[in-house]
Amino acid sequence: MRTRSLPRLLFVVLMTFLVLAELFPLVWLLNFSLLRSGDFFGSSILKWPNPPMWRNYADAFKGAHITLLFMNSLLVVFLSIGLIIACSIPMGYAFTRMRWKLRGVCFSFIMAGMIVPIYSTLLPNFILFKETGILNSYLSLILPYAAFAIPVSLFIITGFLETIPRALEEAAVMDGLGIPGMIVQIILPLLKPAIATVAVLAFLNCWNEFIMAVTYIDKDTLRTLPFAVVYFMGQYSSNYGAQFAVLAIIAIPSILMYLLFTDQITRGVTAGAVKG
Amino acid sequence: MNTVISDKKTIFWLVAPGFILIAAMIFIPIMVSLYYSLTDWDGVTDYRFIGLSNFIEIVTKDAVFWKSLLNALLLGLGLVFVQHPLSVLTAMVVPYCGRFEKLLRASFFIPSIISTFVTTQLWVSVFNTQFGLLNRLLERLGLEAWKQDWLGDPKLAICCMIFVCIWQGFGYAFLLYYAGIKGVPKELYEAAMLDGATQAQVHGHIIFPLLAPVVRVNIILAVVAAFKQMETVYLMTGGGPADSTQFLSTYLYSKAFREGLYGYGNALSILLVLICLIMTVLLNRALQKDVGEY
Repeated sequence: MRTRSLPRLLFVVLMTFLVLAELFPLVWLLNFSLLRSGDFFGSSILKWPNPPMWRNYADAFKGAHITLLFMNSLLVVFLSIGLIIACSIPMGYAFTRMRWKLRGVCFSFIMAGMIVPIYSTLLPNFILFKETGILNSYLSLILPYAAFAIPVSLFIITGFLETIPRALEEAAVMDGLGIPGMIVQIILPLLKPAIATVAVLAFLNCWNEFIMAVTYIDKDTLRTLPFAVVYFMGQYSSNYGAQFAVLAIIAIPSILMYLLFTDQITRGVTAGAVKG
Repeated sequence: MNTVISDKKTIFWLVAPGFILIAAMIFIPIMVSLYYSLTDWDGVTDYRFIGLSNFIEIVTKDAVFWKSLLNALLLGLGLVFVQHPLSVLTAMVVPYCGRFEKLLRASFFIPSIISTFVTTQLWVSVFNTQFGLLNRLLERLGLEAWKQDWLGDPKLAICCMIFVCIWQGFGYAFLLYYAGIKGVPKELYEAAMLDGATQAQVHGHIIFPLLAPVVRVNIILAVVAAFKQMETVYLMTGGGPADSTQFLSTYLYSKAFREGLYGYGNALSILLVLICLIMTVLLNRALQKDVGEY
């Protein structure tokens, strides 16, 4: 890039423009979350918060029941991740290591689950959940979250298992270890990086999921974090500062996740996409 | 070893839980949906079977259905011709940005990772007529005349919607290409550079062809994602104004839950599955010849 300066300058301009386009709205959001509602109107684009209204954050926290929603989200997401891992590891093992007739058919069936849009199951699941009485319970989110994440997770796990040599397992079988014991004692420790990828990917998808959470749950005590939108729209229709504070509060855990797990996220996103 | 790894009982217990979960949450619901799509159920009272009437009505009389397909097509075009070229180009440049590399990567990806709920509310505010960033920016630039009611005008609303989708998904697309480029073996570059190739030649003749399979998969994903689109639309405009930003999934949702046309909604739902299936197969076929190998 150092050889010719015109293309270089062009790229610098393009990159700067893209960074601004991607990040400026978020900076604007943070800025406005610290303003008094009266400061919103006027012609300046960014305003120095004077003084910064940290109260907006306090108001948002209370008014939008952030603590409750946060705990609910955490519970639902962690149980979903647990279920995803508990289902996909044994499956991954059976698909890569064991010999059975219906293997190919079963695998294509599960992979077909990736093409089906989540939203086409909203209406029938609503009815099925109502009939079986799990509408309005954590289960009505955990089960579909897990089901829709298993195909991608299985894909990541089988891909990873293929790279693990079989010699260890053969030795273990000689020593009289059964399949379940082998999965727990030998495969599980080796799978750690794949599990981390699966968990982070599942976390992001479930944490941010909105439509199912709105459709299947209408009890205030069971709501998950994205639902804070409805609270702030109702309560803070004119308190823009607090509205922006709610948005910032919800965005922060995701950003932290990115900063902590950049590598796992990269691996998860790319593995999830190569499925074709 | 052989008896252990083909023990039917063990295999059953390993596969059954996940398999049953997927069947119960994805495939059985689609069967149920198919069943209700043949009825005129309103979700509450008795219903009767009306055969394919729902489907016939959708295809022959329902303008909003066609509108929602057109919107998906527009979004798909936006992703394929704006988002993806931009993200391929960016992914090729970012590895040369030295100490800015990490910063650029984070800047591009963070909008993708924040929940759609936050980003859509943010953009609703940006487009707001009273205090929105966009109108204020135009005012500042002396372009007062360009100020608009961005989400209130049907023609502008769909453009805004597509823009937000491009903005939000840019990081994902970028990351896929970036990881693909990082995966290209170093020796390939070095060999080419030794042979006297320029940077541009290396990119055009080596990196881009190697990226072709990634591009193929991403284009399929982008187009299918356009047809699946729901959350951004639901949270930004709810399909309005006047159904101008309706997508198939938001449309089926409002038919079933707002208008109480549950059977009709399920018919739309089945069409959504079919369209996604057909798009995947067609695109896979059409783009097959691009496949390259390392």
